[in-house]
Amino acid sequence: MSSVLKKPNDRIDETLFTLAEYDARAAELGGYSNYSYWRSTWQVFLKNRVAFALLIIILVLLFFTVIQPYLPNQKLPNEIYLDPATKMQLRNHPPDAEYWFGTNSIGQDLWARIWSGTRTSLYIGVVVGFLTALIGIIVGAIWGYVRKLEHLFTEIYNIFDNIPTTVILVLLTYIMRPSLSTLIFAMCITGWLTVARQIRNLIVIIRDQEYNLASRCLGTSTARVITKNLLPYLVSVIMLRIALAIPIAIGMEVFLTYIGLGLPVDIPSLGNLINEGRLVMMSPSLRYQLFFPAIVLSVITISFYVMGNAFGDAADPRNHV
Amino acid sequence: MEAPVSILSVKDLVIRFNLRGKTLTAIREASMELYKGESLAIVGESGSGKSVFTKAFMGLLDKNGWIDSGSILYKGKDLARYKTEKDWLKIRGKEIAMVFQDPMTSLNPLKTVGKQVQEAIELHQGLKGEAAKHAVVSILTDVGISEPEKRYNQYPFEFSGGMRQRVVIAIAIACRPEVLICDEPTTALDVTIQAQILQLLKSLQEKYNLTIIYITHDLGVVAHVADRVAVMYAGDIVEIGTSEDIFFDPQHPYTWALLSSLPQLGEKGEPLYTIYGTPPNLFKEIKGDAFAPRNPKALKIDFVHRPPYFDVSETHKAKTWLLDPRAPKVERPKSIEAIRAKWEVV
Amino acid sequence: MSKPEKLLEIKDLCVEFGNKKKKYVAVNHVNFDIYKGETLGLVGESGSGKTTIGRAIIRINETSHGDILFKGRKINGKIDKALDQEVIRKIQMIFQDPMASLNERAKVDYIVSEGLYNTRNYRTEEERKQKVEQALLNVGLLPEFASRFPHEFSGGQRQRIGIARTLVMEPELIIADEPISALDVSIRAQVLNLMNDLKKRLGLTYLFIAHDLSVVRFITDRVAVISKGRIVELAETETLYNNPLHPYTKGLLSVIPIPNPRLEKHRKVDFYNPGNHQCDSKTSKWVEAEPGHFVLE
Repeated sequence: MSSVLKKPNDRIDETLFTLAEYDARAAELGGYSNYSYWRSTWQVFLKNRVAFALLIIILVLLFFTVIQPYLPNQKLPNEIYLDPATKMQLRNHPPDAEYWFGTNSIGQDLWARIWSGTRTSLYIGVVVGFLTALIGIIVGAIWGYVRKLEHLFTEIYNIFDNIPTTVILVLLTYIMRPSLSTLIFAMCITGWLTVARQIRNLIVIIRDQEYNLASRCLGTSTARVITKNLLPYLVSVIMLRIALAIPIAIGMEVFLTYIGLGLPVDIPSLGNLINEGRLVMMSPSLRYQLFFPAIVLSVITISFYVMGNAFGDAADPRNHV
Repeated sequence: MEAPVSILSVKDLVIRFNLRGKTLTAIREASMELYKGESLAIVGESGSGKSVFTKAFMGLLDKNGWIDSGSILYKGKDLARYKTEKDWLKIRGKEIAMVFQDPMTSLNPLKTVGKQVQEAIELHQGLKGEAAKHAVVSILTDVGISEPEKRYNQYPFEFSGGMRQRVVIAIAIACRPEVLICDEPTTALDVTIQAQILQLLKSLQEKYNLTIIYITHDLGVVAHVADRVAVMYAGDIVEIGTSEDIFFDPQHPYTWALLSSLPQLGEKGEPLYTIYGTPPNLFKEIKGDAFAPRNPKALKIDFVHRPPYFDVSETHKAKTWLLDPRAPKVERPKSIEAIRAKWEVV
Repeated sequence: MSKPEKLLEIKDLCVEFGNKKKKYVAVNHVNFDIYKGETLGLVGESGSGKTTIGRAIIRINETSHGDILFKGRKINGKIDKALDQEVIRKIQMIFQDPMASLNERAKVDYIVSEGLYNTRNYRTEEERKQKVEQALLNVGLLPEFASRFPHEFSGGQRQRIGIARTLVMEPELIIADEPISALDVSIRAQVLNLMNDLKKRLGLTYLFIAHDLSVVRFITDRVAVISKGRIVELAETETLYNNPLHPYTKGLLSVIPIPNPRLEKHRKVDFYNPGNHQCDSKTSKWVEAEPGHFVLE
C-alpha cells in the first residue's frame, strides 16, 4: 500500500524537505506500453482450450502422415494383398492385427490408403489454400486501393461470382484430363473470389486513414503502400482465410470425387476413399471402409475450422484485454 | 447564506482494472465532496482517470474493473458496495444521469428521436401514451429544439451534432435526476455550438435544480461553468477548490503547469511553459507523489512519501508537500503570478 | 526593405466533390498568399473547407477551378514528374491525429525514412541513418527511439515523430492540419514551442489550419477566417483579434471561452446568425478595408 502518513508531523526526516534534482531527459524516457500485438494474439488464442487442443491434434496428425511410410511394417497403399492361404485377393477383410483398418473390396490395405489419401488431400488443401489466398490478396488489394480500377474489378468479380462454381469445375475437369494438377487448377480458379472480396472490403475501410494519406504525401508508390501499410493489418484475416481454405478445398475434392470428377482411382485421396466406402455402406460388416476415412476427414475439417476462427478472434485487437 | 449540503461524498476510492493479466490501478485513493446545486468541474488529461472516476458512481465500470476499497456515499447509501444490476437501476437515470462526449454514438440510429426520449420518460416519470408524447415535446422545447412535433419522428442522422447532443441531454433530464454528469459534452462540437450547449446546461440547471459534474480538459469551459474545480492527475485529485481558488491561487505544481501552458498566456515570440515527460505507468506501484518525476520544483520527500491533503482555506486544499510548514518557500512560475495580475483585477 | 517573397499563391481556387448531378462545393473561389517565413493561420469550423484547401495544396484532393502556384509555378492539376517530385520534397504535411497518422506495424526508423526512400535523397545507408537521427533530435526525441514501434509512445511523442517525418525531407512549406487538436492540453504547448523553434532555426513557412482561435493567436503572423468554403476575413493576427470586421469573425471571437472565471461568468455571448448577413451571395466582394486587412462584403 502507498505510504500516506496519517500524522505528517512525526517520523519524517527533515532533510527530505529540500529540492530534488530534476532530470528532464529521464522524464522523456517514460516507457509507455509494452503491448506486443503477436504476443497478445497468442495469449488470447491459448485461453481457448478447445482450439489449442485441436491445434495439438492437427500437428500430431500432420506429423504422423509424414512419418507413417517410414514406420516399420507398413503396407503399400496400392498393392493388392493376397490371402496367404488361398492365394486369392484379400477382399473386404475386416480390421485385425495385420491389417489395422482392414482391406477394401479389391484387397488393398486401408490403413496405408488412408494415410496416403490424407497426405494427398492435405497437399491439395494447402496448395489450393495458399494459391487462392495469394491470388485473392493481390486482386483484393488492387481492387480496394486503386480507385481507377475499382469499377473494372467489380465487374470482373460479378461475372465470376455469378457462374456457379460447380459448372466451372465440371467444365474444366471435362476439358482437361482428371489429374492432381487439373483439380488444383480448377479449385484455384474459383476459390480466390471470397478472399478477394474480404480483402477488398477491409482495404476500403483503412485506405483513407491518416497514415496512408501521409504516405501518399511522402510520395510512396502504390505497391509499397499496399505491402507496408495495408497488408500488415490484414495478416490475421489472411491467416484465417488460409486456415479455412484447407478444409474447404478438401471438402470440394470429396464432392468432385462423388460426382465422378475427382482424382483417378490409383491416387488415393480422402475423396476416393469415402466414395469407395459409400459404395459398400449398406452391409454392416463393411461399414468400417466408410468410417475410417470419414472420421479422419471430420477431424481435419473441424480442427481447421475451429482453430481458424479462434485465431481470427484472437488476432482482433479489440479482444486483447 | 445557507451552508452547502453534501449529496455525494467519495472517500479514498481505489479502482483497479485487470488488463492482459496485469493489474492497473486507475484511481488511487481519490476523495471528493459534491454539494447540492453546484457545478463541479473535474479537470485532467487523458489517463488521469476522470471518466473512470465518475463512471464508478453509476456502476458503469468495464467488466474487467472493480472498486477495490473506499466509499461513495450517496443519500446515506454506499454505492461502492453495490454489486447487482438491480441496485444500480435505482440509481442510474433516476438519481444520477450521464451525458457522454460523442452524440453520434450515444443515440440509437435505428429509432426515432421521439421514441428514445419517450422511453426515458415512460420509465422514469411513469407517463404513458399521449401524456408521454406531450412530455417529450415539452422537453424537446426545453432543450432548444425547434419544431419539436416534427423532430419527434426524425432519426438521429437527420440531426446535426449540436442538436443530437441536445437530444442526449433531453433524455438525461427526462429522468429528473439529482446529479448530471457531463463527460466532455462539448469536445466533439464546434466552438459556437459549444457555447450554446453550455448555456443550455446552465439554464436547465436552474430550472430543474440540478447538480452538475463537468468533466473536461478545457480550462476555458471550466472558467465559464464551474463553481468548484477538482484537478486530477494519475488517478488522484491533487487539488480542489473554488474556481477562483484554482485560477488565481493554485498550489499544486501540476495545476501551475496546466495553467501556464495555456496559449492565451503566451507571449508571442517566447516559448510557452511546458511540462516534459509523460504521465506515470499505472501498472506499477507509485512511490511518493505521482507528479514528482515531471516536476522541476520537486522536493526529495516527493519521491519517498505521498503527500496528504493540506488545507489552504476552508474551500481549498491540495496534495503537495510544498504546503507543509517544513517545506522551503518555492516561487510560483511567473506566468501564474501574471494571471493574478492580469485577470484578478476585473 | 524588399517585400518578402511569395512562397504560395492561391488564386480563385474551387474544390468540388461528387459528380455533376450532386455537386458539393467545399472550397469556393478562395484567394490568399503565403509569404516565405511566415505562419499563416487558416481558421474555421468543421465543414468550412480548411482541411480541403490544405489537401488540395499537397495534391491529395483534385481542384476543379483556379490555380495553386508554388514559387510561381502551377502545382495543381496535371504536372510532370519532376515538378511532382519537387512538390513532394518541398511541401509537407503534419496530420491531426497522432494515433492514426503513423503506421503501427512499422518501426519509427522506417516511418521517418519513408520520404527518403521515395525520393532517394541520400547516398549511403550511413547518410540515411544520420538524417533520421538528426530529425529525431530536432524534435526533441532520443535517437534510440528509431528502433521502437509507435505504440510505445505517448500522443505528444507520436506527433513529434510525425513532425520528424516531414523535417527529414527538408521542406520549405509545412501544412499543419490541426496538429494539436488531438493532444492533451499540457502537451500542446510542447508542440507549439517546437514548431516555433523549428521555424526560427530552419527557416520554415507554415500554413496552420485550426479551429481553436486562442491557439492561433499565439502562433500565427497572419490569420484567414474561412466559413462554408469562402474566406471571410484576412489580416495580421493582432489586427484581427483587436478589430474584427466581419460578423462571422466577431461571432467566433465572442464564443471562445476565456480561462478567467471572473470575466467568463459575466460575459454576454453574441451569436453569429448567418441569416443576418448575406455573405455567400454572388455579389460579395473581397475588399481591402485597411492596408493588409481584407474582408468579404
